[in-house]
Amino acid sequence: MRTFIYLAMLMVLSLFLPALGAAEGDYTFDLSETEKKPYHFGGYVEFKPVLFGLDHDAAFYKLRFYNDPQGQTLPEANGRVQLEGSYEKESYRLYVKTNTDLKYSSLDGGAEHSVFYEAYGSLKPSSSLKIDAGKKALKWGKGYAWNPVAFVDRPKDPDDPELAMEGFIMATTDYIKSFDGPLKTFSFTPVILPVYDHINDAFGNNNKLNFAGRFYFLLYDTDIDLMFMTGGSRPDRYGGDFSRNVTTNFEIHGEYAYVRYARKTILDASGNMSAVEADAQSYLVGIRHLTAFDLTTIVEYYHNGAGFSDDELKNYFAFVNRAYNLYQSTGKVAALASAKNLADGAYGRSSAGENYLYVRFSQKEPFDILYFTPSLTWILNLDDRSYSLTPELLYTGFTNWEMRFRTAFIAGARNTEFGEKQNDYRMELRVGYYF
Amino acid sequence: MLKIIVVVLSLLVALPVYALDGTALLKKIDRNLNPESFESYRKLINIEPDGRKKEYTLFTIKKGVDKVASLFLAPASEKGRSTLRLGDNMWFYIPNVGKPIRITSLQSIVGGVFNNSDILQLDYTAEYDVEKVEEKGGEYLLFLKAKTKTVAYDRLKIWADKGKLLPTKIECLTEANMLIKTLYFKDHKDFGGGIVRPAVIETDSPLYKGYKSVLIYAKVKQRTFKDEVFTLTFMPNLESLR
Repeated sequence: MRTFIYLAMLMVLSLFLPALGAAEGDYTFDLSETEKKPYHFGGYVEFKPVLFGLDHDAAFYKLRFYNDPQGQTLPEANGRVQLEGSYEKESYRLYVKTNTDLKYSSLDGGAEHSVFYEAYGSLKPSSSLKIDAGKKALKWGKGYAWNPVAFVDRPKDPDDPELAMEGFIMATTDYIKSFDGPLKTFSFTPVILPVYDHINDAFGNNNKLNFAGRFYFLLYDTDIDLMFMTGGSRPDRYGGDFSRNVTTNFEIHGEYAYVRYARKTILDASGNMSAVEADAQSYLVGIRHLTAFDLTTIVEYYHNGAGFSDDELKNYFAFVNRAYNLYQSTGKVAALASAKNLADGAYGRSSAGENYLYVRFSQKEPFDILYFTPSLTWILNLDDRSYSLTPELLYTGFTNWEMRFRTAFIAGARNTEFGEKQNDYRMELRVGYYF
Repeated sequence: MLKIIVVVLSLLVALPVYALDGTALLKKIDRNLNPESFESYRKLINIEPDGRKKEYTLFTIKKGVDKVASLFLAPASEKGRSTLRLGDNMWFYIPNVGKPIRITSLQSIVGGVFNNSDILQLDYTAEYDVEKVEEKGGEYLLFLKAKTKTVAYDRLKIWADKGKLLPTKIECLTEANMLIKTLYFKDHKDFGGGIVRPAVIETDSPLYKGYKSVLIYAKVKQRTFKDEVFTLTFMPNLESLR
């Protein structure tokens, strides 16, 4: 808890820094701001109190709180500290980014988790060639909420797609070539990703050396990527994406991924587990549109070929309910433990189903209030019609500060993806400061 | 007879105006504003009606008529973000998001009166045709029409100093001649290397009453770049060019 108090004090103190700067005269440009130093240090601190409105009948509530029932709401305080540093000399560069998550709730007490998000060295012998080695996040794909072609990345959270993500240890190269004519740019990014004990062991099967690659083309004013990954830690996969501005205010994009022998564990109606293996095709199509009055609309349809069908999800929720009833009548927890194991795997992931629609409206600076952006995000499971609806208010008017308030309403019938989530709603305030 | 003489004399006086090659004039204005390939530092200040300011510092590079890239150096919340323009294509790179996303010319990634096409301005000749030129005292008035529908403003009216061949004021208009914003070019400064240009551009807009945005230029200097630095893949590495 003391850490949170320090964090809050630091943030309040920092709030006065922009006010000191504002006292300077008009139109001054201090050229010292343009001097380049070989090193850089910066960071971000965040304080995020959250209030969960619990759904006592939901499968995921029962899984988590079966032996410790809660009231209607559960408050939680979250903090985040990200530190970033780099050192550059001639064509060499070192870059490090750390992330520390802090959590405090009356239920679980305090918890802290620190990790290097990225830590790599770069060699750039020319503007056409760069070689990186270390821990790095590549973030392939053109989709806003989902990226089925992000073969060497961790899954993105569609609830917060712009969050920084932890990378994997890899060696990678960027080779770039520009042309005159319809093909303006070509680039190739080969990737070597080892998976051994203590090296990327969360990625997939151990003792494998994986190879991936991306070819990029700017062809007829359209971004086109082709990518692949092979090596055995995960099933082989191939894919592509594109993005293009149709007019000055209208963009279209899409992704397609083909995964050979995708494996998943499913439950039948009786709760029997089985592993199935089949080729899976995932794809996404989306648009981004801006009106004359600065309303940005993002719409994406996502088909998750490796996801669970409506019936497979229903069988899982039924399994959880049977395990919970068994615990209540006999005190046995083995079935609940088994259900928890499945939840820690694919069943508990966000976007575990097959077909989704993502719609986001954000209105920039309404009523001439600069740096204020209200938005509304709707994520709908098209198969079971369950959804989350998230109104959001964002204000960035104080230099280096970002304040966001939002409430996610999570709704759906019983035995649907969002209907069986732990919460009926989630209210959160996020106050972040960059330095 | 007297009437004929007056008409002939009037035509002779008027002829230099009609003889003006608008495109050549605009090309000259483009070159006087910036070398064809250059780097610069810019401070962008958004000023609200109550006087509150928000400032951004950018490192900008340009090559040819249609390649521009900018890197945000300050404030800390924006540091490392970069923008790239290749003709009608524009992208925005946010380090957290980790990949460039396509943006449009009418959006504004910094808020305030400047939009993306103002910040990533190409040569005017790359985007506009000169419809006509008028002489207004010590200034030329150029009427420009966008070459394609993908250009941010359908029409521009440029007032340019006759002697310096540099703009003093630009009005940005819709196809129906509705004023979107006005740019005021001020504070002529010698940046060295033969580059003498306005160091300050102010803008206001009837759409943002009471708001003002300002661009201040520093360290403008001629520099050549390889085409490869104006690519999506290079966007995260723009800092290495400083």
